[in-house]
Amino acid sequence: MSQKTETLIDKNGLRIDGRRPDELRPIKVEVGVLSNADGSAYIEQGKNKILAAVYGPKELHPKHLALPDRMVLRCRYHMAPFSVQERKSPAPSRREIELSKVVREALEPAIFMEYYPRTAIDVFIEVLQADGGTRCASITVASLALADAGIPMRDLVAACSAGKVDDTIVLDLMDTEDKVGSADLPVAYMPNLGVVTLLQMDGILTLEEFEKAVNLAIDGCKRIYAMQKEALRAKYVSIKESEE
Amino acid sequence: MPGEPLGVIEEFIPDSGAYTKDGIIYSKIIGCALIDFKNKRVSVFPIGHVAKVPKVGSIIIGQVSAVQPQMATVRIFKIGKKALSGFFSGLLHVSDAQSRFVESMFNICKPSDIIRAEIISEKNRIYHLSTKGKNLGVVYAFCSNCGYLLEQRYRDLQCPRCGKIEKRKIAIDYGKGMI
Repeated sequence: MSQKTETLIDKNGLRIDGRRPDELRPIKVEVGVLSNADGSAYIEQGKNKILAAVYGPKELHPKHLALPDRMVLRCRYHMAPFSVQERKSPAPSRREIELSKVVREALEPAIFMEYYPRTAIDVFIEVLQADGGTRCASITVASLALADAGIPMRDLVAACSAGKVDDTIVLDLMDTEDKVGSADLPVAYMPNLGVVTLLQMDGILTLEEFEKAVNLAIDGCKRIYAMQKEALRAKYVSIKESEE
Repeated sequence: MPGEPLGVIEEFIPDSGAYTKDGIIYSKIIGCALIDFKNKRVSVFPIGHVAKVPKVGSIIIGQVSAVQPQMATVRIFKIGKKALSGFFSGLLHVSDAQSRFVESMFNICKPSDIIRAEIISEKNRIYHLSTKGKNLGVVYAFCSNCGYLLEQRYRDLQCPRCGKIEKRKIAIDYGKGMI
């Protein structure tokens, strides 16, 4: 890539989009955007635009897939053909199938799976526009959609990535930083319980850098959690007022 | 908000909508926290959407999908007042269809009828239904001859288009109730 020669962090310590290393992209969250789904949410994180819809709990078909002691969470992470610069085939790619699993496993610890045995919950995550860090934004928005659907949860899950770009540990990587930078570390976190539900890393970090990056990512998760809470409150306060 | 701390177990007993972990009470749904200082209980009253599955005693509305001489299968699409996004399947046995003896399920309901029933068992998530009672039974039925919506004629149903008379176990508000 031609961008290899460019510096990702200028002499003032600012990144290519003008952020400080420990700054998140501007985030806009909205809950309950779809009327046909049981629960839904929408997030704009920088140039990322992701929509999540939740259906269920419902009877699982074929029935032999149902688990006798808990429910089945089914996730579908999908990128729209127009979400990236070159048209992406709408068929689920290897990457999307893997991310579906990753998102599912990051959400499972937050849900009371044993409350509705032999049932299924469907989570559909549609990436309308992608600009790096979509798995984190997907987890953030899917947990909001689950909460909106009234599914009992231990905590909301907030997710954020950290990484290393030009020997600096930075928060919330965007696409070019992810591709050109030397490490990417997505973290999903339950802020009230202090539990990490997802931790991945690609690239190389030293032990100190890793620790710094994880702490930075968790700090980002906490900031995202505040926005999640605000979005939920915005919707439910208006519902409450209309009821009264 | 799910995961918001509400107190500690020394203070309150967690009720519906709350759970405990390591001695701290958290909320598990979106709603208003209700604190009962008299009984030392804390619960969360849900606002907005609530996840619902059929429970013993709940009144459901469903469509009859198949009828056998002893049994009918029902697609449950509404629990109480809440319409489901998917469906659950339930079973209606002749012995639970009416308080008096019924010989055949075909005199109770036919495929495609809309029925209101009560859940009487949920063992292993197999929902057994009952239509005993005045307000339970078929609320909308269709002619097995021409498919037209049947109208009530005394204790039976008649098709206004082809004149066929059919037997059903009808609910008291047949043809009038909103689904």
